[in-house]
Amino acid sequence: MNAEATNPKMTARGVSVYYGAKQAVKDVSIDVSKEHVTAFIGPSGCGKSTFLRAFNRMNDTIPGARVEGAIALDGEDIHSSGMDVVQLRARVGMVFQKPNPFPKSIYENVAYGPRIHGLAAGKADLDAIVEKSLRRAGLWDEVKDRLKESGTALSGGQQQRLCIARAIAVDPEVILMDEPASALDPIATAKIEELIHELRGRYAIVIVTHNMQQAARVSQKTAFFHLGELVEYGETSEIFTNPKVPRTKDYITGRYG
Amino acid sequence: MTERIPTDWAGAAMQRRIRKRYAAERRFRLMGLLAVLLSAGFLAFLLITIGIKGLPGLTGTFLAGSDATDPELAGIWGAFKGSLLTVGVTLAIAFPVGVLTAVYLEEYAPRNRWTDVIEVSINNLAAVPSIIFGLLGLAVFLNFMHLPRSAPLVGGITLALMTMPVIVIAGRNAVKSVPPSIRDAALGVGASRIQVVFHHVLPLALPGILTGTIIGMARALGETAPLLMIGMRAFIASPPGGITDPATVLPVQIFLWSDEVSHGFVEKTSAAIIVLLAFLLAMNGVAIYLRNKFERRW
Repeated sequence: MNAEATNPKMTARGVSVYYGAKQAVKDVSIDVSKEHVTAFIGPSGCGKSTFLRAFNRMNDTIPGARVEGAIALDGEDIHSSGMDVVQLRARVGMVFQKPNPFPKSIYENVAYGPRIHGLAAGKADLDAIVEKSLRRAGLWDEVKDRLKESGTALSGGQQQRLCIARAIAVDPEVILMDEPASALDPIATAKIEELIHELRGRYAIVIVTHNMQQAARVSQKTAFFHLGELVEYGETSEIFTNPKVPRTKDYITGRYG
Repeated sequence: MTERIPTDWAGAAMQRRIRKRYAAERRFRLMGLLAVLLSAGFLAFLLITIGIKGLPGLTGTFLAGSDATDPELAGIWGAFKGSLLTVGVTLAIAFPVGVLTAVYLEEYAPRNRWTDVIEVSINNLAAVPSIIFGLLGLAVFLNFMHLPRSAPLVGGITLALMTMPVIVIAGRNAVKSVPPSIRDAALGVGASRIQVVFHHVLPLALPGILTGTIIGMARALGETAPLLMIGMRAFIASPPGGITDPATVLPVQIFLWSDEVSHGFVEKTSAAIIVLLAFLLAMNGVAIYLRNKFERRW
């Protein structure tokens, strides 16, 4: 099925993802816009994370994984020869399910991306980028006095916000979040959700979650996946109050999943 | 169904079980202690006998001199320097090649029949007896390439062939144990594959790689047989000036002196063993130091 937004940042057309012979995502077309937070929901194994990883070609790193169909960033095919995968991943950042800071200092975690892409004009500039990114990730006040300490010494929720700061630091256009709060406690989860609200509009955000309340809280658009198919895509309020497809309704009301 | 009788925890049968359990504990502890004493006892015996025989021989002339026909004049410096040069050549070749192989096989090579064949070959290579490597060195480096006989260069290359598989295996395991989430994190901010390897994977794998390297180097340092094959058993009366000069190494020197008929060489043999063991301990010490130093970084 098709689901088109008015001002798409990224578009997927007829995307299928295979792991060897197994098809994990089946012919999905979707638009992601910058104005909205888009949530992918669905039961475990429905292909939502796999589909998300197709947006910055992280599936390339999995042996045997194959992506078919077209995905475009600002109208440009991300699989075309003109698109450099390293640059794509800088423009389309990612936050993973389990917080995965580098075993380096907090400062180095955030500075790493700008450094490898040559984004900072000097030490002072790099300092400014690090501070701005940590501020945007809502972590600056907690870590400003211990930037030299290891990122892995932070609490789980702080680590995840550090990972968000690290993604922000390279000034991406899109941020993909793969169940970013599933390993966190409720308070840390609330902070991440608050953060997503604040980042909305500045970046196109796509979040995968198996927590329906979370999707309802943070997103404006929701896509429901089941068995690798995109079942329904629309306004979050519509999906949760007035789903058009019976399968969506059954999932929302907890009949399966 | 009949009602089960409640368990009598204080009953005689239960007490017997408890006694049997305690007896098993005691038996195991005794056996373990005996095993430890057995191996430690042999080591102590070796160190004590070598120490008694060799310590008086550790004189200034012995430490500074080279091999001589007269045991009073014979010294270890020549063989020690030969060992240093040989192990240096080995390290310079085996470490970079071994690490690159390990990284390539883990991070770059596709999983297919060819890489399987290479993997099995490397594992087998690590188990090949060292004398075979000696014969290979003799055939290829001396007879075919005409490199200088008895030289640390050839000895080092031969030992490098022997050490490389050990480094590759240790390196692959170390690289494999770096969590995939770190690779994802680096790729996710747009690091290229080579940046992922050199900025993240290698630094995290380094302690493991170093451990494997030192184990391999210690083995190379104690190796005798392959060096005999390439002529490092010649009588060398002056320390080698470079890696192409004729030289001998510590274990070969020990082997040569233990063969001497003159009684004075018994003391020299033991003294040389002390020097070799001290060298090995120093190397292990450096390895442990380096490992701890790099491990602290994360």
